[in-house]
Amino acid sequence: MSTITVLGLVLFALMTIIGGKTGATAFLSLIFNFALLFLSIVLISWGFPAMGVSLVIGTVILAFTIFFGEDNELAAKTAYIASLIIMVALILLIFPVEHWIMAQGFSLEDSEDLEGMSLTIGVSFVGVAVTEAILSTLGAIAEASIAIAAGLSEIIEQHPHVATKRLYIDGISIGKQIIGTTFNTLFFGFFGGFLALFIWFSGLHYSFGSVINNKIFVGEVLMVMFSLIGVILAVPITTWVMTLEHRRAAKLKD
Amino acid sequence: MQRIQQHWGLWLTLLVITVGLIGVGLTRVNAGLYQQTVAKVTAIKKINHTATTDEFNNKDATYTQWVTVKVLNNRHQGHSYRLKNTYTKSQAMDQDYRIGNQVFLRIPSEKDAAITIQGLKRDTTLAFVAWLTLALLLLIMRFSGLMALLSVTLNAVLFYGAIQIDLATNGGHLYTLFGILAVLFAVLTLWLVLGFSRKMLVTLGATIAGTGLAVIISLIVFSVTHERGVTYEAMQYVTQVPKPLFLVETILGSLGAVMDESTDIVASLFQLQEERPDISPNQVFKSGLQIGHSIMGPLINVLFLIFMADTFSMTLLYLRNGNNWGYTFTMNMSLGMVQSLISGIGIVLAIPVASWLASRLMPREVTTA
Repeated sequence: MSTITVLGLVLFALMTIIGGKTGATAFLSLIFNFALLFLSIVLISWGFPAMGVSLVIGTVILAFTIFFGEDNELAAKTAYIASLIIMVALILLIFPVEHWIMAQGFSLEDSEDLEGMSLTIGVSFVGVAVTEAILSTLGAIAEASIAIAAGLSEIIEQHPHVATKRLYIDGISIGKQIIGTTFNTLFFGFFGGFLALFIWFSGLHYSFGSVINNKIFVGEVLMVMFSLIGVILAVPITTWVMTLEHRRAAKLKD
Repeated sequence: MQRIQQHWGLWLTLLVITVGLIGVGLTRVNAGLYQQTVAKVTAIKKINHTATTDEFNNKDATYTQWVTVKVLNNRHQGHSYRLKNTYTKSQAMDQDYRIGNQVFLRIPSEKDAAITIQGLKRDTTLAFVAWLTLALLLLIMRFSGLMALLSVTLNAVLFYGAIQIDLATNGGHLYTLFGILAVLFAVLTLWLVLGFSRKMLVTLGATIAGTGLAVIISLIVFSVTHERGVTYEAMQYVTQVPKPLFLVETILGSLGAVMDESTDIVASLFQLQEERPDISPNQVFKSGLQIGHSIMGPLINVLFLIFMADTFSMTLLYLRNGNNWGYTFTMNMSLGMVQSLISGIGIVLAIPVASWLASRLMPREVTTA
């Protein structure tokens, strides 16, 4: 058996033993997300527009991640609506920025891997860069909005008549608790994987100026910052959606 | 008094945001700081375009344009040049220049050698997005945002230092060096988030144990399966021995997520015990697992999407170059997949470790009989 299969089985076993049914469904969401990611590349390679593909696939990935991981219905629904709003807001930012900074495709550092390949493949790499950036932020958006929605729904459960203004204060305070550690998750997640590139930059004595204008570096830093913006936006937007849901539920009761 | 403080906090935030925006603007006129020659595109003229078809029947187009640039710094400041630029419709390694773009130029000393555009100057856009992130962070999170930023900055400094040491030793002590670095990262980050306390020590223990166990399990799987399907040769930008580099990348990549999760679990358990001082260690352990259930799925997905998004462009290129799905996956996505799985194992294992450590090491009320 290949290493990936065995590692996958180990992860599945651990998630099921420790997480029970939630763990098993969470593992399923991972497999679905992989399939969706691969599907999106295949669709783009078949000539579907990158923006449309990322919008549709993004909507589905968020649904799998949120509804397969969270048991509480109110929290999951709120987190999903909030994540969709944040995704659209991010697309409105990512699209112009990627067209402005032109950090798409490949750089000179990739030359060795590109040997013998045809680069004139007729697919806009700027569009691909937009898709990459959008998909890489989805996990962070989902995680942050789930954390905030779960925290708030617990407060609502304990104090069903909590005031809207109070919910805002609580939402921000939950946000403050998670922001520090979430930043680090993203920082390590993005830069840990780029250790080899940083060793390359340092080893070949790239100047500071070359690094901050380098295609690959810029592309990576942008992805981190888009994710950070997504997480920051998750705090007020999830709270706002929760207050709407809360008000609607209160009205239904009357 | 507090109101005045809040007032000042708001003004200070607005000041930082305004100064930041001015800073972004200044990157348009910072050519003097660069050693490379910087020039501004002043005029563009399209010459012609031809449709191309490659051997895999991909239809593309090649455009040629005259780019007039005016040098902004160094020896040739003020000179204008007219250069030819060729780009493709897909813009994989080249690009369409527009009026107002600032670019880097290579001006060779020999007279007859051609002047070439080396690439776009991207610092203004980068500074703009950084400014936007900072502004949102300060406006919404205030002081906590600043602390988060501080911990990321300090970690970046540590990271830079470790790379310098690694280069000085030629990558000979990669495991030791980055092993120590990982522990330092964890201590520093958790100290900033939690302060030096029992809570922080428990979280630190869980982080290190969870990550360590994941590495041990992966190494066992690696040796049992003889690393079949792990294509180290497909690793990008490698200048040192790939396998240790890959493992270190994986450990660092998952470290933040494991800390994130351990912090959540330990903090909630300490709070639980504060609310119900008579709770038994076994109940604490069970509650810890319960909290972990809902955190682990989304967290594993965060890393998975980050690791996989990086492989997007290359995977697409492979597919359009007539490779089948299996080969494309092996050459581009399998390493990211292994990384995601090992990180996932670390994230899952940290749950029982954090819950157990918290349940045994929490301060108990001394019950005087």
